[in-house]
Amino acid sequence: MLVAPAKGGTRIVSLNRAAQRAGLTKDGLLSNARSKVPNLQVRDADPVADSDALRRLALWCLRYTPKVAPWDEASGADGLFLDIEGCAHLFGGEERLLADLAARLKAFRLVARMAIADTAGTAWAVARHSEQNGTIVASGKEMHTLHTLPLAALRLGEDSQRLMHRLGLRRIGEILHQPRAPFAARFQAELLRRLDQALGHAPEPLMPVVEPPVYRAQACFTEPIMTQEHVLQAATHLLGVLGRDLERDAVGIRLLRLLLFRVDGEVQSIELGLAAPSRDARHIAQLIDLRLYRLGNELEADFGFEAAAVHVRNAESLAERQASLGLHEDGASPEELARLIDRLQQRLGRHAVRQLHPHQSHTPERAVRVRPASPSARLLSGPSSHKTTKSIQAESKHRTGRGKGKRQILAPAHGTAPHPGLRPEEAWTETIAAPRPLLLLERPEPADVLAVVPDGPPRHFRWRGVLHQIAQAQGPERIAPEWWRHTAEGTRDYYLVEDAQGRRFWLYREGLYGQGATPQWFVHGMFA
Amino acid sequence: MPRQLTKAARIKALRCDLARLEGTPKGGSSAHLPLGPDEVHAHLPGPGLPCGTLNEIAAEAYDHTPAAFGFTLAMLALALHSRPGPAVLVLQARCRMDFGAPYGHGLVQWGLDPGRLVIVETRNNKDALWALEEALRSPVHLAMVAGAVAGGLDLTISRRLNLAATPRATPLVLLRGFVPVGTSAAATRWRIASAPAARDPFGTFARPRWTATLERCRNGRTGKWLIEWDHVAHRLCVVEGVADRAPVERASLQRIS
Repeated sequence: MLVAPAKGGTRIVSLNRAAQRAGLTKDGLLSNARSKVPNLQVRDADPVADSDALRRLALWCLRYTPKVAPWDEASGADGLFLDIEGCAHLFGGEERLLADLAARLKAFRLVARMAIADTAGTAWAVARHSEQNGTIVASGKEMHTLHTLPLAALRLGEDSQRLMHRLGLRRIGEILHQPRAPFAARFQAELLRRLDQALGHAPEPLMPVVEPPVYRAQACFTEPIMTQEHVLQAATHLLGVLGRDLERDAVGIRLLRLLLFRVDGEVQSIELGLAAPSRDARHIAQLIDLRLYRLGNELEADFGFEAAAVHVRNAESLAERQASLGLHEDGASPEELARLIDRLQQRLGRHAVRQLHPHQSHTPERAVRVRPASPSARLLSGPSSHKTTKSIQAESKHRTGRGKGKRQILAPAHGTAPHPGLRPEEAWTETIAAPRPLLLLERPEPADVLAVVPDGPPRHFRWRGVLHQIAQAQGPERIAPEWWRHTAEGTRDYYLVEDAQGRRFWLYREGLYGQGATPQWFVHGMFA
Repeated sequence: MPRQLTKAARIKALRCDLARLEGTPKGGSSAHLPLGPDEVHAHLPGPGLPCGTLNEIAAEAYDHTPAAFGFTLAMLALALHSRPGPAVLVLQARCRMDFGAPYGHGLVQWGLDPGRLVIVETRNNKDALWALEEALRSPVHLAMVAGAVAGGLDLTISRRLNLAATPRATPLVLLRGFVPVGTSAAATRWRIASAPAARDPFGTFARPRWTATLERCRNGRTGKWLIEWDHVAHRLCVVEGVADRAPVERASLQRIS
């Protein structure tokens, strides 16, 4: 049992189940309780430690959703709101999420009452006052659910509750369908606001917890700073301060936020991601410089910044490294490559610096994934040996092919099945035997095509207003849509065509004759 | 005859002097990127494309841009094949919008390893040139820095790029937009037009071909060849005369069913 000094003596703040069974109630006087139960265990309440523990629990709950808000004083300050919109499916639905949360809290030896509802108010009411624990209120059933709950479920102040009691109102249902005007006159705005919040007619702002930065440093300036040069100097100084801590813990910065506090109370923040962990103040300051350059006029100094802070949001271990003596630079070092990528990404944007990765798909545009570049070992590797042996074979083939009068057969290299244990970034094997264009249009462009027979190869086509006479066509290569994707794509017949001037295009006809709509022709790519 | 020989020898000596005076990177195999055919090498100052200096590539006409792009990527494939380290390809978004973006499987079939390629896409000419210079100035040993810009190059920009490329002798090729040519400090300028591809006896496309004109070559001679790219052997080949079948004569369409 926890107690705290209050009006009229020490009163009970919180009590466990055993104490409840002994007939004690909250807000009772400690002296009365002692006379009822002689072997009472009493501790002083520590609200600060409680709120700390609640905050820790809130941070832990970030594993379920990025938005977790501890209850404020009016809500009792003893629970959490989890905004699980868009997160429930990650745990297999709302029921599973609730069960998972309950099991984990139980493992922490915490007794929890939980509910899911569309509004924070209803969830609070149901969690606190419903007989059943773990209720999920279906969407639109808030009013129905609230009907039978006591008025205390509306999170009202003590005065309002007492007044309600005096008026003989006990349940929410009794006021739900009453005219609003008399209530508004007697209960100020609180009652109707709480009611509207529970029903979702009024917004209820939540204050989500924010994960504290791993490392931080800040500086205040005697005079506001306004120029990019000064911001950079400040950032370099702060990074130097952080550098000692980072070095001690052998970590490097991966994700960093620079906060600039403006004189008029605004805060400007710049977030930087690094391709590889680093604690080199000069390098990071250079990245900030590039970012400021890219932001251009978006960042407004107005009357200047009076303080700056650097928060390290994510740090990764970075081993100690001896500073090079500058005798011979190892140009193939991953750090230098990471720095180059960093610099390019800060000025041009993260997605502007990219690498291509293969993806298992038959549809050409899906068979390649574009991802931001990262300094991998593969990038730094030399010419692959696999290619070398192949090129020697091909070279000998090529030489024999030059002999006159000898007919040679150059079959297109047939793809071998990819090795099952192959890492995805190495799976650029020539599994595709059919030709693929060097340049692929972002989206296929329609072309007017004339073919000799309807489902034959094209004869000439008009694309972007230019008529191309086809001298040679190769195909078709039929690519059926992936049935497991529910798209309206049709079967495609791809042709490689060459026009009279030697320009090579990749055309396809979508759809089949005699099945639904008339097939359409598209230009999809360019061969060199 | 002996007099002519001495003339050729004298020209060669003068060229060497010029190269020395211009401060081009030291000789040796690393300063040149071998292209393959000796016919082309004979026109170039060394056994291959000069490294550490700007090489320009331009299309014969606007709609030959994909061919010029293919030639650029062939250079890239050659560089990746003979030099260690990653390659950087800087593309200006406008070039990409017109004829599409490099396609991974197409690059593989071109003999190029996409795993060692970093593609940088920029919105404007200025950013593209900045990215090129940044890549060239970085201490990373890059197999090649290649670029495609929509705008032109002037003397200042090309000299900046030259200066950035020289210290590490990084091969640098730049596919230039289809704009009137200004003066530039490029070592070579190639003009590429597409040509009907080489085909195997059954009529399938085997190797792409281009008409490559070496319009400008510092310390070398200009020339014009019909060149084909062998993506398996990683080499360019000069096609002799018209020994091959002319593509239009075949009733090629009958082949397909």
